[in-house]
Amino acid sequence: MALLEIKQLSIHFGGVKAVQDVSFSVEEGDFIGLIGPNGAGKTTVFNAVTGVVPPTNGTIYFDGHKINGMRPDKISHLGIARTFQNIRIYPKMSALDNVAIGLDSHASYHTVSAMLGLPHVRRRDEEIRKTCLEFLEQVGIVQYKDTEAGSLPYGLQRKVEIARALATRPKLLFLDEPAAGMNTAESLELVSFLQELHKNTGIAIVLIEHHLEVVMEVCKNIHVLNLGQMLASGTPKEIQKNQDVITAYLGKRRNRHDGE
Amino acid sequence: MGYIEGIMISACINIVCVAGLAILTGYTGLFSMGHACFLCLGAYTAGILTKFFGVPYLIALLIGGGVAALFSLIIGIPTLRGKMSADCFTIATFGFGEATRVVMANINHPYVGGALGLSGLNTFTTLPKAIVIAAIAVYFARNYAKSQHGKLAIAVRDHADASELIGVNIFHEKLKALAISAFFCGVGGGMMAHYYTYIVPNIFGGTMSTNLLTAVVLGGVCSVTGPVLATSVLTATPEVLRFLSNWRLPMYGLVLILTMRIRPEGLMGYKELSIRPVVRWFQKKAGKHGRDKEVHHGSFGN
Repeated sequence: MALLEIKQLSIHFGGVKAVQDVSFSVEEGDFIGLIGPNGAGKTTVFNAVTGVVPPTNGTIYFDGHKINGMRPDKISHLGIARTFQNIRIYPKMSALDNVAIGLDSHASYHTVSAMLGLPHVRRRDEEIRKTCLEFLEQVGIVQYKDTEAGSLPYGLQRKVEIARALATRPKLLFLDEPAAGMNTAESLELVSFLQELHKNTGIAIVLIEHHLEVVMEVCKNIHVLNLGQMLASGTPKEIQKNQDVITAYLGKRRNRHDGE
Repeated sequence: MGYIEGIMISACINIVCVAGLAILTGYTGLFSMGHACFLCLGAYTAGILTKFFGVPYLIALLIGGGVAALFSLIIGIPTLRGKMSADCFTIATFGFGEATRVVMANINHPYVGGALGLSGLNTFTTLPKAIVIAAIAVYFARNYAKSQHGKLAIAVRDHADASELIGVNIFHEKLKALAISAFFCGVGGGMMAHYYTYIVPNIFGGTMSTNLLTAVVLGGVCSVTGPVLATSVLTATPEVLRFLSNWRLPMYGLVLILTMRIRPEGLMGYKELSIRPVVRWFQKKAGKHGRDKEVHHGSFGN
Protein backbone atom coordinates (compact mmCIF):
# COMPACT_ATOMS: atom_id res chain seq x y z
CA MET A 1 0.00 0.00 0.00
CA ALA A 2 1.14 3.49 -0.79
CA LEU A 3 2.45 5.75 1.96
CA LEU A 4 -0.22 8.35 1.32
CA GLU A 5 -3.39 7.52 -0.49
CA ILE A 6 -5.87 10.27 -1.31
CA LYS A 7 -9.14 9.02 -2.71
CA GLN A 8 -11.81 11.24 -4.26
CA LEU A 9 -10.97 14.13 -2.00
CA SER A 10 -13.45 17.01 -2.12
CA ILE A 11 -13.32 20.13 -0.01
CA HIS A 12 -16.09 22.67 -0.17
CA PHE A 13 -16.20 26.01 1.63
CA GLY A 14 -19.88 26.84 1.56
CA GLY A 15 -20.65 27.02 -2.14
CA VAL A 16 -17.01 27.17 -3.22
CA LYS A 17 -15.73 23.85 -4.42
CA ALA A 18 -12.06 24.32 -3.63
CA VAL A 19 -11.10 20.74 -4.37
CA GLN A 20 -13.17 18.20 -6.25
CA ASP A 21 -12.60 14.48 -6.63
CA VAL A 22 -8.85 14.62 -6.43
CA SER A 23 -7.11 11.27 -6.07
CA PHE A 24 -3.43 10.54 -5.98
CA SER A 25 -0.97 8.56 -3.98
CA VAL A 26 2.56 9.01 -2.75
CA GLU A 27 4.92 6.06 -2.45
CA GLU A 28 7.81 5.87 -0.04
CA GLY A 29 10.77 7.80 -1.34
CA ASP A 30 8.71 9.63 -3.96
CA PHE A 31 9.34 13.20 -5.02
CA ILE A 32 6.10 14.59 -6.29
CA GLY A 33 5.28 18.02 -7.60
CA LEU A 34 1.88 19.59 -7.24
CA ILE A 35 1.42 22.48 -9.60
CA GLY A 36 -1.37 24.54 -11.02
CA PRO A 37 -2.44 28.14 -11.53
CA ASN A 38 -3.36 30.34 -8.57
CA GLY A 39 -6.45 29.18 -6.75
CA ALA A 40 -6.20 25.65 -8.12
CA GLY A 41 -6.55 24.18 -4.63
CA LYS A 42 -3.00 22.99 -4.07
CA THR A 43 -2.59 24.41 -0.59
CA THR A 44 -6.11 23.25 0.28
CA VAL A 45 -5.05 19.69 -0.50
CA PHE A 46 -2.07 20.17 1.84
CA ASN A 47 -4.35 21.58 4.50
CA ALA A 48 -6.70 18.62 4.24
CA VAL A 49 -3.89 16.09 4.51
CA THR A 50 -2.32 17.85 7.51
CA GLY A 51 -5.66 18.20 9.28
CA VAL A 52 -6.16 21.96 9.06
CA VAL A 53 -9.41 21.72 7.11
CA PRO A 54 -11.73 18.73 7.25
CA PRO A 55 -12.43 17.07 3.90
CA THR A 56 -16.04 17.34 2.72
CA ASN A 57 -15.81 14.00 0.95
CA GLY A 58 -13.28 11.34 0.26
CA THR A 59 -10.72 9.54 2.34
CA ILE A 60 -7.08 10.08 3.13
CA TYR A 61 -4.96 7.13 4.25
CA PHE A 62 -1.49 7.59 5.59
CA ASP A 63 0.71 4.67 6.47
CA GLY A 64 -2.33 2.46 6.99
CA HIS A 65 -4.27 4.98 9.12
CA LYS A 66 -7.33 6.85 7.99
CA ILE A 67 -6.47 10.41 8.85
CA ASN A 68 -9.40 12.55 7.79
CA GLY A 69 -10.78 14.50 10.70
CA MET A 70 -7.74 13.75 12.85
CA ARG A 71 -6.20 16.55 14.91
CA PRO A 72 -3.18 18.17 13.22
CA ASP A 73 -0.79 17.32 16.04
CA LYS A 74 -1.75 13.65 15.89
CA ILE A 75 -1.26 13.59 12.13
CA SER A 76 2.12 15.17 12.67
CA HIS A 77 3.07 12.40 15.09
CA LEU A 78 2.11 9.81 12.48
CA GLY A 79 4.85 11.24 10.30
CA ILE A 80 3.65 14.09 8.10
CA ALA A 81 5.48 17.39 8.28
CA ARG A 82 5.01 20.58 6.32
CA THR A 83 6.31 24.04 5.70
CA PHE A 84 4.20 27.06 4.90
CA GLN A 85 3.74 29.36 1.97
CA ASN A 86 4.30 32.33 4.25
CA ILE A 87 7.08 31.36 6.62
CA ARG A 88 5.88 30.57 10.13
CA ILE A 89 8.88 30.25 12.37
CA TYR A 90 9.07 31.56 15.91
CA PRO A 91 10.79 34.88 15.30
CA LYS A 92 12.09 35.57 18.80
CA MET A 93 13.56 32.12 19.33
CA SER A 94 16.99 31.08 18.20
CA ALA A 95 17.22 28.88 15.11
CA LEU A 96 18.15 26.01 17.37
CA ASP A 97 15.14 26.44 19.63
CA ASN A 98 12.89 26.55 16.59
CA VAL A 99 14.16 23.13 15.62
CA ALA A 100 13.83 21.94 19.22
CA ILE A 101 10.08 22.58 19.11
CA GLY A 102 9.75 20.18 16.19
CA LEU A 103 12.07 17.67 17.79
CA ASP A 104 10.41 17.43 21.17
CA SER A 105 6.90 18.69 20.65
CA HIS A 106 5.56 16.99 23.76
CA ALA A 107 8.38 17.83 26.19
CA SER A 108 9.82 14.49 27.14
CA TYR A 109 10.19 15.22 30.82
CA HIS A 110 7.64 16.07 33.45
CA THR A 111 6.52 19.58 34.33
CA VAL A 112 7.55 19.17 37.95
CA SER A 113 11.02 17.89 37.14
CA ALA A 114 11.42 20.83 34.74
CA MET A 115 10.65 23.23 37.59
CA LEU A 116 13.03 21.51 39.96
CA GLY A 117 15.71 21.55 37.27
CA LEU A 118 16.58 17.91 37.93
CA PRO A 119 19.77 16.47 36.41
CA HIS A 120 17.93 14.30 33.90
CA VAL A 121 16.20 17.40 32.55
CA ARG A 122 19.56 19.04 31.93
CA ARG A 123 20.84 15.87 30.27
CA ARG A 124 17.78 15.68 28.07
CA ASP A 125 18.10 19.36 27.13
CA GLU A 126 21.69 18.73 26.15
CA GLU A 127 20.63 15.75 24.04
CA ILE A 128 17.97 17.83 22.32
CA ARG A 129 20.52 20.51 21.62
CA LYS A 130 22.91 18.04 20.05
CA THR A 131 20.24 16.48 17.86
CA CYS A 132 19.03 19.93 16.79
CA LEU A 133 22.55 20.78 15.72
CA GLU A 134 22.52 17.73 13.46
CA PHE A 135 19.37 18.94 11.79
CA LEU A 136 20.76 22.45 11.38
CA GLU A 137 23.88 20.89 9.92
CA GLN A 138 21.75 18.92 7.50
CA VAL A 139 20.19 22.05 6.05
CA GLY A 140 23.50 23.88 6.26
CA ILE A 141 22.77 26.66 8.73
CA VAL A 142 24.55 25.36 11.79
CA GLN A 143 26.55 28.60 12.06
CA TYR A 144 23.32 30.50 12.77
CA LYS A 145 22.23 28.25 15.63
CA ASP A 146 22.03 31.01 18.23
CA THR A 147 20.76 33.74 15.95
CA GLU A 148 17.24 34.98 16.55
CA ALA A 149 15.33 33.25 13.75
CA GLY A 150 13.32 36.35 12.86
CA SER A 151 16.46 38.31 12.07
CA LEU A 152 17.79 35.79 9.55
CA PRO A 153 17.44 36.52 5.83
CA TYR A 154 14.46 35.07 4.05
CA GLY A 155 16.18 32.10 2.44
CA LEU A 156 17.69 31.00 5.75
CA GLN A 157 14.34 31.34 7.51
CA ARG A 158 13.05 28.84 4.96
CA LYS A 159 15.82 26.51 5.94
CA VAL A 160 15.02 26.90 9.63
CA GLU A 161 11.47 25.95 8.78
CA ILE A 162 12.59 22.92 6.80
CA ALA A 163 14.94 21.87 9.61
CA ARG A 164 12.08 22.19 12.08
CA ALA A 165 9.89 20.02 9.86
CA LEU A 166 12.66 17.45 9.48
CA ALA A 167 13.14 17.38 13.24
CA THR A 168 9.66 15.88 13.64
CA ARG A 169 11.17 12.86 11.85
CA PRO A 170 8.55 12.68 9.11
CA LYS A 171 8.01 9.96 6.55
CA LEU A 172 6.39 12.48 4.29
CA LEU A 173 7.30 16.13 3.90
CA PHE A 174 5.07 18.74 2.31
CA LEU A 175 6.80 21.85 1.05
CA ASP A 176 4.47 24.70 0.22
CA GLU A 177 6.22 27.04 -2.24
CA PRO A 178 9.71 26.90 -0.77
CA ALA A 179 11.05 29.03 -3.64
CA ALA A 180 8.46 31.79 -3.24
CA GLY A 181 10.18 35.15 -3.40
CA MET A 182 13.49 33.70 -4.55
CA ASN A 183 15.37 34.74 -7.67
CA THR A 184 16.68 32.28 -10.24
CA ALA A 185 20.07 31.79 -8.62
CA GLU A 186 18.49 31.17 -5.24
CA SER A 187 15.96 28.74 -6.63
CA LEU A 188 18.71 26.84 -8.39
CA GLU A 189 20.48 26.56 -5.07
CA LEU A 190 17.22 25.32 -3.58
CA VAL A 191 16.98 22.67 -6.31
CA SER A 192 20.33 21.18 -5.44
CA PHE A 193 19.51 21.47 -1.75
CA LEU A 194 16.23 19.59 -2.19
CA GLN A 195 17.84 16.92 -4.33
CA GLU A 196 20.55 16.45 -1.75
CA LEU A 197 18.00 16.31 1.06
CA HIS A 198 15.91 13.74 -0.75
CA LYS A 199 18.91 11.61 -1.53
CA ASN A 200 20.26 11.69 2.02
CA THR A 201 17.06 11.20 3.98
CA GLY A 202 14.89 9.18 1.62
CA ILE A 203 11.83 11.03 2.94
CA ALA A 204 8.95 11.22 0.49
CA ILE A 205 8.48 14.85 -0.54
CA VAL A 206 5.50 16.59 -2.06
CA LEU A 207 6.30 20.01 -3.43
CA ILE A 208 3.99 22.86 -4.34
CA GLU A 209 5.82 25.38 -6.45
CA HIS A 210 5.20 28.11 -8.97
CA HIS A 211 8.77 28.15 -10.20
CA LEU A 212 8.25 25.46 -12.79
CA GLU A 213 11.96 25.10 -13.50
CA VAL A 214 12.38 23.94 -9.90
CA VAL A 215 9.56 21.42 -10.16
CA MET A 216 10.65 20.07 -13.54
CA GLU A 217 14.18 19.67 -12.23
CA VAL A 218 13.58 17.83 -8.97
CA CYS A 219 10.26 15.99 -9.20
CA LYS A 220 9.87 12.50 -10.53
CA ASN A 221 6.13 12.82 -10.96
CA ILE A 222 3.93 15.85 -11.31
CA HIS A 223 0.24 16.33 -10.68
CA VAL A 224 -1.45 19.36 -12.15
CA LEU A 225 -4.48 20.84 -10.46
CA ASN A 226 -6.76 23.36 -12.08
CA LEU A 227 -9.90 24.87 -10.54
CA GLY A 228 -9.90 22.19 -7.87
CA GLN A 229 -9.72 19.27 -10.24
CA MET A 230 -6.91 17.00 -11.30
CA LEU A 231 -5.94 18.06 -14.77
CA ALA A 232 -3.02 15.83 -15.56
CA SER A 233 -0.44 13.54 -13.99
CA GLY A 234 2.84 12.30 -15.32
CA THR A 235 6.56 12.74 -15.56
CA PRO A 236 7.93 16.25 -16.10
CA LYS A 237 8.39 15.55 -19.80
CA GLU A 238 4.83 14.39 -20.28
CA ILE A 239 3.48 17.38 -18.38
CA GLN A 240 5.48 19.82 -20.47
CA LYS A 241 3.92 18.45 -23.62
CA ASN A 242 0.41 18.10 -22.22
CA GLN A 243 -1.93 20.37 -24.19
CA ASP A 244 -4.44 20.74 -21.31
CA VAL A 245 -1.72 21.95 -18.97
CA ILE A 246 -0.44 24.49 -21.47
CA THR A 247 -3.99 25.73 -21.96
CA ALA A 248 -4.58 26.05 -18.23
CA TYR A 249 -1.39 28.03 -17.71
CA LEU A 250 -1.23 30.13 -20.84
CA GLY A 251 -4.71 30.00 -22.32
CA LYS A 252 -5.58 28.79 -25.79
CA ARG A 253 -3.61 29.97 -28.80
CA ARG A 254 -5.91 32.23 -30.72
CA ASN A 255 -6.10 31.70 -34.39
CA ARG A 256 -5.18 34.99 -35.99
CA HIS A 257 -7.54 34.52 -38.85
CA ASP A 258 -10.52 33.99 -36.55
CA GLY A 259 -13.04 36.75 -36.78
CA GLU A 260 -11.45 38.41 -39.76
CA MET B 1 10.18 48.48 60.94
CA GLY B 2 6.96 46.54 61.04
CA TYR B 3 5.56 48.74 58.30
CA ILE B 4 8.44 48.15 55.90
CA GLU B 5 8.38 44.47 56.80
CA GLY B 6 4.70 44.37 55.93
CA ILE B 7 5.30 45.87 52.52
CA MET B 8 8.09 43.41 51.89
CA ILE B 9 5.91 40.46 52.83
CA SER B 10 3.16 41.74 50.53
CA ALA B 11 5.72 42.07 47.76
CA CYS B 12 6.91 38.50 48.33
CA ILE B 13 3.34 37.22 48.14
CA ASN B 14 2.81 39.12 44.91
CA ILE B 15 6.08 37.80 43.55
CA VAL B 16 4.94 34.21 44.07
CA CYS B 17 1.67 34.89 42.23
CA VAL B 18 3.25 36.88 39.43
CA ALA B 19 5.95 34.26 38.81
CA GLY B 20 3.14 31.84 37.98
CA LEU B 21 1.10 34.33 36.01
CA ALA B 22 4.16 35.20 33.92
CA ILE B 23 4.09 31.64 32.57
CA LEU B 24 0.43 31.96 31.61
CA THR B 25 0.42 35.50 30.24
CA GLY B 26 4.02 36.24 29.39
CA TYR B 27 4.90 32.91 27.83
CA THR B 28 1.68 31.27 26.68
CA GLY B 29 -0.04 34.55 25.80
CA LEU B 30 -3.30 34.01 27.67
CA PHE B 31 -4.76 36.91 29.60
CA SER B 32 -6.61 36.16 32.79
CA MET B 33 -8.83 38.70 34.50
CA GLY B 34 -9.71 36.46 37.40
CA HIS B 35 -6.62 35.03 38.96
CA ALA B 36 -7.58 36.47 42.33
CA CYS B 37 -10.03 33.59 42.63
CA PHE B 38 -7.10 31.16 42.72
CA LEU B 39 -5.56 33.17 45.53
CA CYS B 40 -8.94 33.00 47.23
CA LEU B 41 -9.16 29.22 46.86
CA GLY B 42 -5.58 28.77 48.03
CA ALA B 43 -6.08 31.12 50.96
CA TYR B 44 -9.23 29.40 52.19
CA THR B 45 -7.84 25.90 51.70
CA ALA B 46 -4.59 26.64 53.51
CA GLY B 47 -6.36 28.65 56.20
CA ILE B 48 -8.92 25.95 56.95
CA LEU B 49 -6.24 23.27 56.96
CA THR B 50 -4.00 25.01 59.47
CA LYS B 51 -6.81 26.33 61.65
CA PHE B 52 -9.09 23.31 61.92
CA PHE B 53 -6.87 20.37 61.05
CA GLY B 54 -3.52 21.47 62.38
CA VAL B 55 -1.78 20.83 59.08
CA PRO B 56 1.78 22.28 58.95
CA TYR B 57 2.07 25.62 57.19
CA LEU B 58 4.13 24.58 54.18
CA ILE B 59 2.05 21.50 53.45
CA ALA B 60 -1.11 23.60 53.74
CA LEU B 61 0.33 26.03 51.19
CA LEU B 62 1.07 23.22 48.76
CA ILE B 63 -2.40 21.72 49.17
CA GLY B 64 -3.89 25.19 48.68
CA GLY B 65 -1.95 25.51 45.45
CA GLY B 66 -3.10 22.07 44.39
CA VAL B 67 -6.75 22.92 45.01
CA ALA B 68 -6.39 26.13 43.01
CA ALA B 69 -4.79 24.19 40.15
CA LEU B 70 -7.64 21.66 40.21
CA PHE B 71 -10.24 24.42 40.04
CA SER B 72 -8.36 26.04 37.18
CA LEU B 73 -9.12 22.91 35.15
CA ILE B 74 -12.83 23.63 35.51
CA ILE B 75 -12.39 26.89 33.68
CA GLY B 76 -9.56 25.72 31.44
CA ILE B 77 -10.94 22.55 29.93
CA PRO B 78 -13.99 24.10 28.29
CA THR B 79 -12.44 27.42 27.28
CA LEU B 80 -9.02 26.39 26.00
CA ARG B 81 -10.22 23.50 23.87
CA GLY B 82 -10.39 23.62 20.11
CA LYS B 83 -10.47 26.87 18.21
CA MET B 84 -11.90 29.05 20.98
CA SER B 85 -10.30 32.45 20.84
CA ALA B 86 -8.12 33.73 23.65
CA ASP B 87 -10.69 36.46 24.34
CA CYS B 88 -13.22 33.82 25.37
CA PHE B 89 -10.75 32.60 27.94
CA THR B 90 -10.22 36.11 29.31
CA ILE B 91 -13.95 36.72 29.65
CA ALA B 92 -14.49 33.32 31.21
CA THR B 93 -11.78 33.89 33.81
CA PHE B 94 -13.35 37.23 34.66
CA GLY B 95 -16.70 35.55 35.25
CA PHE B 96 -15.14 32.67 37.14
CA GLY B 97 -13.23 35.07 39.37
CA GLU B 98 -16.34 36.99 40.33
CA ALA B 99 -18.39 33.81 40.73
CA THR B 100 -15.85 32.24 43.08
CA ARG B 101 -15.86 35.33 45.25
CA VAL B 102 -19.65 35.43 45.47
CA VAL B 103 -19.93 31.71 46.11
CA MET B 104 -17.38 31.90 48.92
CA ALA B 105 -19.31 34.80 50.46
CA ASN B 106 -22.43 32.68 50.53
CA ILE B 107 -21.06 29.48 52.00
CA ASN B 108 -22.07 29.81 55.62
CA HIS B 109 -20.34 26.69 56.78
CA PRO B 110 -18.38 27.42 59.99
CA TYR B 111 -15.13 26.47 58.24
CA VAL B 112 -15.63 29.11 55.56
CA GLY B 113 -17.56 31.76 57.41
CA GLY B 114 -19.51 33.30 54.53
CA ALA B 115 -19.18 37.02 54.00
CA LEU B 116 -17.58 37.44 57.43
CA GLY B 117 -14.66 35.39 56.28
CA LEU B 118 -12.17 33.23 58.05
CA SER B 119 -10.47 34.77 61.03
CA GLY B 120 -8.12 33.84 63.82
CA LEU B 121 -5.43 32.31 61.66
CA ASN B 122 -1.88 32.09 62.88
CA THR B 123 0.77 34.46 61.58
CA PHE B 124 2.89 31.83 59.93
CA THR B 125 4.04 34.05 57.06
CA THR B 126 7.04 35.82 58.49
CA LEU B 127 9.45 37.84 56.40
CA PRO B 128 12.26 35.24 56.21
CA LYS B 129 9.79 32.52 55.23
CA ALA B 130 8.15 34.77 52.66
CA ILE B 131 11.47 35.67 51.09
CA VAL B 132 12.55 32.05 50.89
CA ILE B 133 9.24 30.95 49.36
CA ALA B 134 9.32 33.81 46.85
CA ALA B 135 12.89 32.95 45.87
CA ILE B 136 11.96 29.29 45.39
CA ALA B 137 8.91 30.26 43.34
CA VAL B 138 10.97 32.47 41.05
CA TYR B 139 13.60 29.77 40.72
CA PHE B 140 10.98 27.17 39.77
CA ALA B 141 9.21 29.44 37.32
CA ARG B 142 12.51 30.35 35.73
CA ASN B 143 13.53 26.70 35.36
CA TYR B 144 10.20 25.92 33.82
CA ALA B 145 10.41 28.82 31.40
CA LYS B 146 13.91 27.84 30.32
CA SER B 147 12.97 24.20 29.78
CA GLN B 148 11.37 22.65 26.75
CA HIS B 149 7.97 23.32 28.34
CA GLY B 150 8.67 27.05 28.30
CA LYS B 151 9.73 26.92 24.67
CA LEU B 152 6.55 25.08 23.77
CA ALA B 153 4.57 27.79 25.55
CA ILE B 154 6.23 30.46 23.40
CA ALA B 155 5.59 28.33 20.32
CA VAL B 156 1.89 28.20 21.17
CA ARG B 157 1.77 31.94 21.67
CA ASP B 158 3.66 32.87 18.49
CA HIS B 159 2.11 30.51 15.95
CA ALA B 160 -0.55 28.28 17.43
CA ASP B 161 -1.59 26.84 14.08
CA ALA B 162 1.93 26.13 12.89
CA SER B 163 2.85 24.59 16.24
CA GLU B 164 -0.07 22.24 16.02
CA LEU B 165 1.11 21.12 12.60
CA ILE B 166 4.49 20.16 13.93
CA GLY B 167 2.95 18.11 16.68
CA VAL B 168 2.39 20.41 19.65
CA ASN B 169 -0.79 19.70 21.55
CA ILE B 170 -1.94 23.29 22.02
CA PHE B 171 -4.78 22.53 24.40
CA HIS B 172 -2.47 20.57 26.62
CA GLU B 173 0.18 23.30 26.69
CA LYS B 174 -2.33 26.02 27.49
CA LEU B 175 -3.98 23.97 30.21
CA LYS B 176 -0.60 23.19 31.74
CA ALA B 177 0.29 26.89 31.85
CA LEU B 178 -3.05 27.72 33.45
CA ALA B 179 -2.74 25.02 36.09
CA ILE B 180 0.79 26.11 36.97
CA SER B 181 -0.19 29.76 37.27
CA ALA B 182 -3.16 28.76 39.42
CA PHE B 183 -0.89 26.67 41.62
CA PHE B 184 1.49 29.57 42.21
CA CYS B 185 -1.42 31.90 42.94
CA GLY B 186 -2.90 29.33 45.31
CA VAL B 187 0.35 29.20 47.24
CA GLY B 188 0.44 33.00 47.26
CA GLY B 189 -3.10 33.03 48.60
CA GLY B 190 -2.13 30.68 51.40
CA MET B 191 0.75 32.95 52.34
CA MET B 192 -1.60 35.91 52.31
CA ALA B 193 -4.08 34.18 54.62
CA HIS B 194 -1.35 33.50 57.16
CA TYR B 195 -0.05 37.03 56.95
CA TYR B 196 -3.34 38.92 57.33
CA THR B 197 -4.63 36.19 59.70
CA TYR B 198 -8.07 37.17 58.52
CA ILE B 199 -9.54 36.71 55.05
CA VAL B 200 -12.85 37.77 53.56
CA PRO B 201 -13.98 36.91 50.03
CA ASN B 202 -14.22 40.58 49.06
CA ILE B 203 -10.48 41.22 49.03
CA PHE B 204 -10.09 38.72 46.17
CA GLY B 205 -11.84 40.97 43.69
CA GLY B 206 -11.17 42.27 40.23
CA THR B 207 -8.65 44.82 41.50
CA MET B 208 -6.34 42.10 42.74
CA SER B 209 -6.54 40.24 39.42
CA THR B 210 -5.85 43.43 37.53
CA ASN B 211 -2.88 44.27 39.72
CA LEU B 212 -1.31 40.90 39.01
CA LEU B 213 -1.94 41.23 35.29
CA THR B 214 -0.55 44.77 35.31
CA ALA B 215 2.70 43.53 36.81
CA VAL B 216 3.11 40.90 34.11
CA VAL B 217 2.29 43.22 31.22
CA LEU B 218 4.49 45.97 32.60
CA GLY B 219 7.30 43.59 33.49
CA GLY B 220 7.45 42.08 30.06
CA VAL B 221 6.58 39.01 28.06
CA CYS B 222 8.87 36.01 27.98
CA SER B 223 10.48 37.02 31.21
CA VAL B 224 10.08 35.89 34.81
CA THR B 225 12.35 38.37 36.52
CA GLY B 226 10.79 41.31 34.66
CA PRO B 227 7.29 40.83 36.11
CA VAL B 228 8.81 39.98 39.49
CA LEU B 229 10.65 43.28 39.49
CA ALA B 230 7.56 45.10 38.28
CA THR B 231 5.35 43.68 41.01
CA SER B 232 7.89 44.61 43.69
CA VAL B 233 7.86 48.17 42.43
CA LEU B 234 4.08 48.20 42.04
CA THR B 235 3.61 46.94 45.59
CA ALA B 236 5.87 49.60 47.02
CA THR B 237 4.76 52.62 45.01
CA PRO B 238 1.18 52.83 46.28
CA GLU B 239 2.60 53.02 49.79
CA VAL B 240 4.86 55.88 48.80
CA LEU B 241 2.06 57.51 46.86
CA ARG B 242 -0.52 57.13 49.63
CA PHE B 243 -1.45 60.82 49.28
CA LEU B 244 -2.73 60.17 45.79
CA SER B 245 -5.21 57.68 47.28
CA ASN B 246 -7.77 56.83 44.66
CA TRP B 247 -5.82 58.31 41.78
CA ARG B 248 -3.60 55.26 41.95
CA LEU B 249 -5.92 53.16 39.85
CA PRO B 250 -6.23 55.62 36.94
CA MET B 251 -2.47 55.93 37.05
CA TYR B 252 -2.15 52.15 36.74
CA GLY B 253 -4.32 52.38 33.67
CA LEU B 254 -2.20 55.16 32.24
CA VAL B 255 1.01 53.21 32.87
CA LEU B 256 -0.48 50.16 31.14
CA ILE B 257 -1.62 52.11 28.11
CA LEU B 258 1.74 53.83 27.81
CA THR B 259 3.52 50.46 28.08
CA MET B 260 1.41 48.98 25.33
CA ARG B 261 1.94 52.03 23.09
CA ILE B 262 5.63 52.57 23.65
CA ARG B 263 6.97 49.14 24.54
CA PRO B 264 4.42 46.43 23.78
CA GLU B 265 6.76 43.65 24.88
CA GLY B 266 6.96 45.19 28.38
CA LEU B 267 9.86 46.82 30.17
CA MET B 268 11.93 43.65 30.23
CA GLY B 269 10.37 41.68 27.43
CA TYR B 270 12.51 38.74 26.31
CA LYS B 271 15.10 39.66 28.90
CA GLU B 272 16.05 38.23 32.23
CA LEU B 273 17.95 39.81 35.06
CA SER B 274 20.93 37.67 35.85
CA ILE B 275 23.80 37.92 38.27
CA ARG B 276 26.19 36.08 35.99
CA PRO B 277 27.68 39.23 34.39
CA VAL B 278 28.23 40.76 37.81
CA VAL B 279 30.09 37.63 38.88
CA ARG B 280 32.06 37.72 35.64
CA TRP B 281 32.83 41.37 36.26
CA PHE B 282 34.27 40.58 39.65
CA GLN B 283 36.31 37.76 38.16
CA LYS B 284 37.62 40.12 35.51
CA LYS B 285 38.42 42.69 38.13
CA ALA B 286 40.38 40.08 40.04
CA GLY B 287 42.20 39.32 36.80
CA LYS B 288 42.94 43.08 36.48
CA HIS B 289 40.82 43.52 33.40
CA GLY B 290 38.43 46.15 34.69
CA ARG B 291 35.33 46.69 32.65
CA ASP B 292 32.26 48.81 33.12
CA LYS B 293 29.69 47.37 35.40
CA GLU B 294 26.67 46.19 33.54
CA VAL B 295 23.43 44.51 34.34
CA HIS B 296 23.29 41.77 31.84
CA HIS B 297 20.14 41.31 29.85
CA GLY B 298 20.62 37.81 28.61
CA SER B 299 18.29 36.77 25.84
CA PHE B 300 16.15 33.85 26.82
CA GLY B 301 17.57 30.43 26.32
CA ASN B 302 20.76 31.01 28.21
